[in-house]
Amino acid sequence: MRKTMTIFMLLGVLLILTAPFVLPDNVFAADKLAEAIAKAPAGTEKGQIDATAQPGFLGIPGAPKVNLIVGLLWAIWVGWVFSTVGAFGGIMAGVGHITIYGLGAYAKTFKDTAPALNKFVTDSIRVSNQWLVGLSALVSSLNYNKQKRLVPALGIFLGLGALFATLLVVFTTAGKIKFSQYQGWFGLVVFVIGGFMVYEMTPKGQSGKKKAQAAVKAFEETVKKKGDITSQGVKTLKWSLAKTEISFFGQTFTFSPIWAFVGGFFISAIASFLGIGGGFLYVPFLTSVVGLPMFVVAGTSALSVLIGMIFAIFNFMMLKGIMVYWPMIGAELVGIFIGSMIGPRTGKYIPNKVLKGIFIVLALYIGLRYTLRGFFGIAML
Amino acid sequence: MREQLDILLYHADGFLIFFYRLTADPFVNFIIGTICLAFMCVLIGELTVSLALKYNKGYFDEMAADINRKENLSISAYESGDKTSYRALNKEATDAWGKRFFTMIGYSAGMFWPLPFALGWMQTRFQDVQFDLAFPLSLIFGESAGYTFIFIPLYILCRIVFKYLRPKLPYFRGIQKILDHPEKP
Repeated sequence: MRKTMTIFMLLGVLLILTAPFVLPDNVFAADKLAEAIAKAPAGTEKGQIDATAQPGFLGIPGAPKVNLIVGLLWAIWVGWVFSTVGAFGGIMAGVGHITIYGLGAYAKTFKDTAPALNKFVTDSIRVSNQWLVGLSALVSSLNYNKQKRLVPALGIFLGLGALFATLLVVFTTAGKIKFSQYQGWFGLVVFVIGGFMVYEMTPKGQSGKKKAQAAVKAFEETVKKKGDITSQGVKTLKWSLAKTEISFFGQTFTFSPIWAFVGGFFISAIASFLGIGGGFLYVPFLTSVVGLPMFVVAGTSALSVLIGMIFAIFNFMMLKGIMVYWPMIGAELVGIFIGSMIGPRTGKYIPNKVLKGIFIVLALYIGLRYTLRGFFGIAML
Repeated sequence: MREQLDILLYHADGFLIFFYRLTADPFVNFIIGTICLAFMCVLIGELTVSLALKYNKGYFDEMAADINRKENLSISAYESGDKTSYRALNKEATDAWGKRFFTMIGYSAGMFWPLPFALGWMQTRFQDVQFDLAFPLSLIFGESAGYTFIFIPLYILCRIVFKYLRPKLPYFRGIQKILDHPEKP
């Protein structure tokens, strides 16, 4: 009986899975998009809208149709990068939206002829990047809550910083950023990330790893005797704006909620503006700058990332009417999932240093190319 | 590929709109249909991510054990007063966490991939449908809101309901255990 029920359930699921797989090409335009299209000059040349042409991206007549196969394949690459190297996957997702799918080049054609359309497409690209970070934070923060790892004071101030930053970024930049400006800033941040990756490969950057290896030998035995500390949980002992004390496993740690707010503000501003960076920057900030243990930081920062991304996506989409192209997001999520499944199986065959070397080269190339094109209009690479 | 996808969409549309035509009241129909759509998204997402967790369970456990070990080491260093070792080990734990964080993005994609397709389908049917908002919501969200405003809260509600159903469902019980204790080897 149970077997029959299982088979019927699986058949039902198969029916559901095969039915609503994708969306039609003709996505209806929202008011803001319709206004932007109306302002564009009519015609068949670049930078013009041919109202009789087939609708493409976001339902814009004559816009490129995002090839979902290309989108899927690129997203598999992004998922692979996420699960082997980590942070660089977000940058690769951004590169997909900007370059691989042809959206950036399309937005640029309206730079002088229809600036409103140029900026609308740019905002759509930004929000598309944000979806990925927000989704991961949602899953992470739910799990950490059950493990008593959330520090309310830290989370609230990080979240407040994130909230102010996203409101500021959305209301000052939505509909105002040209694609070239976005591309330039994206490139600059990627270049800085590439710089950090290069630093980590230098002897000075590696010295921290050597200290950690020595420390592992020193404390391994102690850890074995203590057993599992994760069931302890975190408690807040004292709270003030200047200094908050928390206790974990009998140890006291302090942090300043003001610094948490400042960090949350700047990191969230970058994440809201570019759609990258918020996810992984919180934890290194809180562990390296604020000095909190990773155990405490991980869950709380995931919650803050979630708050920041929800506000950013909400403000962009609900209040500013920015649209995303759902079929592209859907195909990307499928591809990222597939890539993340494959990554662990293949990553072990490639040495970590080789992987890092490849991504350093990519970061420097993308950073330089986008910065030159975005800020200076130089198409060197 | 587009033609084949349009044919699939045609059949999907017929299947999905059925849930929006169950009663005589259009608003009630919209809510019921959207709840059904949201629940389908939850179920499909859960099934997808369960494949990931089963397929890569060993890798996931290895990562969790690595993070756990490095966290414990950093706390021991802090306890002994060795700040240099604490900072170095904390960084190692952070790097290990970072790898897991981005792997979670992949798993999250598995959980949420049906949503854009559902929202995209709703866009074809309900793009022009607006719901008047009462005070004080109208102060924050404006005078009216569209289908996304209804879908997302209902999706969250379906997720919460599924959370309570999951321990009772034969296949999903094991998945819940993996999700609840990712840091335990």
